[in-house]
Amino acid sequence: MTRFPGDLFDGLTSRAHPVVASIEAGHLAIEGDGIALSIPLGQIDVAPPVGAARGVVRLPGARELHSTNQAALAELAALARRNHPERWARHLESRAVYALAALAISVLVMFAGLRWGIPAAALLASRALPAGVDRSIGEQALALMEKVSLAPSKLPAARRQTLARELALECARQACPPHRLLFRNSPLFGANAMALPGGAIVVTDDLVKLSRDDEEVLAVIAHELGHVTYRHSLRLALQSLGAGAILVAVTGDLGNVSDFAAGLPSLLLRSGYSRDMEREADSYALHWLDARCIPRRRFADILQRLDNGPPDTVNLLSSHPGTTDRIHPFLVPGACA
Amino acid sequence: MSDTKRYPMQFTGTGGEYFVIWIVNIALTLLTLGIYSAWAKVRTLRWFYGHTLLDDRAFSYLASPIQVLKGRLIALAALVTYYATSYFAPSLAGLLLIAFFIALPWIVVSSLRFHARMSAYRGLRFDFTGTVGEAARIYIGLQLLLIPTLGLILPYLAYRQVKFIASHTVYGQTAARYRGTARPFVGVYLLSFVLILLPIAVIAYGAYQMYVMRAAGVPPEAATAALGGFMLAGMILFYLMIPVISAVVMARTANLLYNATELGPVGFASGQRARDLIWIYLSNLVLIALTLGIFIPWAKVRLARYRAGRLTVVGPADLGQFAAGQQQSSTATGAEMADLFDLNIALT
Repeated sequence: MTRFPGDLFDGLTSRAHPVVASIEAGHLAIEGDGIALSIPLGQIDVAPPVGAARGVVRLPGARELHSTNQAALAELAALARRNHPERWARHLESRAVYALAALAISVLVMFAGLRWGIPAAALLASRALPAGVDRSIGEQALALMEKVSLAPSKLPAARRQTLARELALECARQACPPHRLLFRNSPLFGANAMALPGGAIVVTDDLVKLSRDDEEVLAVIAHELGHVTYRHSLRLALQSLGAGAILVAVTGDLGNVSDFAAGLPSLLLRSGYSRDMEREADSYALHWLDARCIPRRRFADILQRLDNGPPDTVNLLSSHPGTTDRIHPFLVPGACA
Repeated sequence: MSDTKRYPMQFTGTGGEYFVIWIVNIALTLLTLGIYSAWAKVRTLRWFYGHTLLDDRAFSYLASPIQVLKGRLIALAALVTYYATSYFAPSLAGLLLIAFFIALPWIVVSSLRFHARMSAYRGLRFDFTGTVGEAARIYIGLQLLLIPTLGLILPYLAYRQVKFIASHTVYGQTAARYRGTARPFVGVYLLSFVLILLPIAVIAYGAYQMYVMRAAGVPPEAATAALGGFMLAGMILFYLMIPVISAVVMARTANLLYNATELGPVGFASGQRARDLIWIYLSNLVLIALTLGIFIPWAKVRLARYRAGRLTVVGPADLGQFAAGQQQSSTATGAEMADLFDLNIALT
């Protein structure tokens, strides 16, 4: 039998009645000045204690028993009516080892979630989402970029038309994803090409100037078509959203979600593709070039030139990881039919 | 009165104790894909309430995790609906936004009511009796007037919000009264305005210097470089001013709220100082960054300890004379919506 002192509040006034409570077989007995209660344990609701914070025992008739005796409250919580799942939490919070394990698990789950879980979930979600979503996000992102960092192309119209015609010609022959080729001048992005959700492919003037012939530009466009085919931009956007969800789970601040989702289109522009996505797009470009009988070397050549470009230009392509590894397959002569 | 007594508010929790609860909450929330977050919230609040003592008696937080989970799911569904429609049918999303704006007063009232009804002291619950109509006048009516008045109405808006919250709080069946006026709020926002002008003044002075140097025949490159220095200093000052201003507003508003509120025979004395809060905010920020977030529990406890330590309740020698009001139930939907949509309703 456990006996412990406490305060009884009758739920009618804020007066504290000092009492002594004892846990007996199936009952909680409460005794004090003019008070003698015996309450079946089945009618008691004890919220499992949290840390050393004072706990409350809720009794029928809006009465409450307050006590500082943590051990007794924990015992009562185990015996009382409702089986709170929090009892597990209480147990986990009771030892330093568990806390360290929780820390390790949190870090591991966050790492694994960011590395594998979220990309996998984003892939599944992107399959479930209709193409209209891509287009809508892509249009917002493009509108934002047009405002901030893109200007109309200064290339001769003839050069642009030639490139567009060659791409259209090729896409009539082999399957290309729905796309829209856009030439823009952008000192900020330097020599660059990017694929937006919904199929808009932006090629900068500097990239066209950097190329030695049209085949090199087409090789880069083929790589971007790979991003479009696998809907990498949308998956990336969904991944950012998932990362935001993890952030919220950790900080417990739900408000962050709405801020995060609102910044989606701009976020898209800031983050680069993952290594896996680059490899997928590269492999797409490889097959595309082979089918077209464009030497694979063209992609390797322009990629190397991008890598050695002036260091002061912001260059997304060159920031892609491991250029040497990436161009390796493109140094082998292609299997041209 | 001769038999009044001063009861200092105390906070007895420690950072180390909260760290364990915090990290277990995070691990379980991650492992349950967020479902445990409702339990995590309730346990956290119960810990903070249970460590907040007045007259050696703790406050208690009574919400059940299931209540919070339900509210959280409904609020999440609303948010997902909003984002889904904004992608699929942007014109409909605009309508939803208007609907949300109209629902705002209800969210405000139901959030304040839920927090109040789930808070108890000495066996008696708090309650909130503000009406949706009054909330609409303040949170929509006055808010809309901010633009045509160029923000001049902001101190009055802040005053009305404080008054709305304070004067409709009920403990048991004792309703609170708010005796404050709008005048001191003008000072708070005037000070904030001056503080935000500082970085702008630095940049403007830099531009003036550049003009003088150019006029004196200094090469344009050197003059521009001088302006760059002032620009940088102005920007740094601007980012420093954000926590400083929020500390000033928080500290002053808390004092204005408590010091003019009376709950039956009980009064309050709150003495938060902006400079203390600024120090706590900035040092917390630095330590959280240096420890990659591990310091968060200690940071929260520091803040709770400071706030409690600066609040004193002045009341009769016996606090046992409050009578209970009617017990009423409440749903967490509004409160969770307020959380999810990042509305800062509760002031302190």
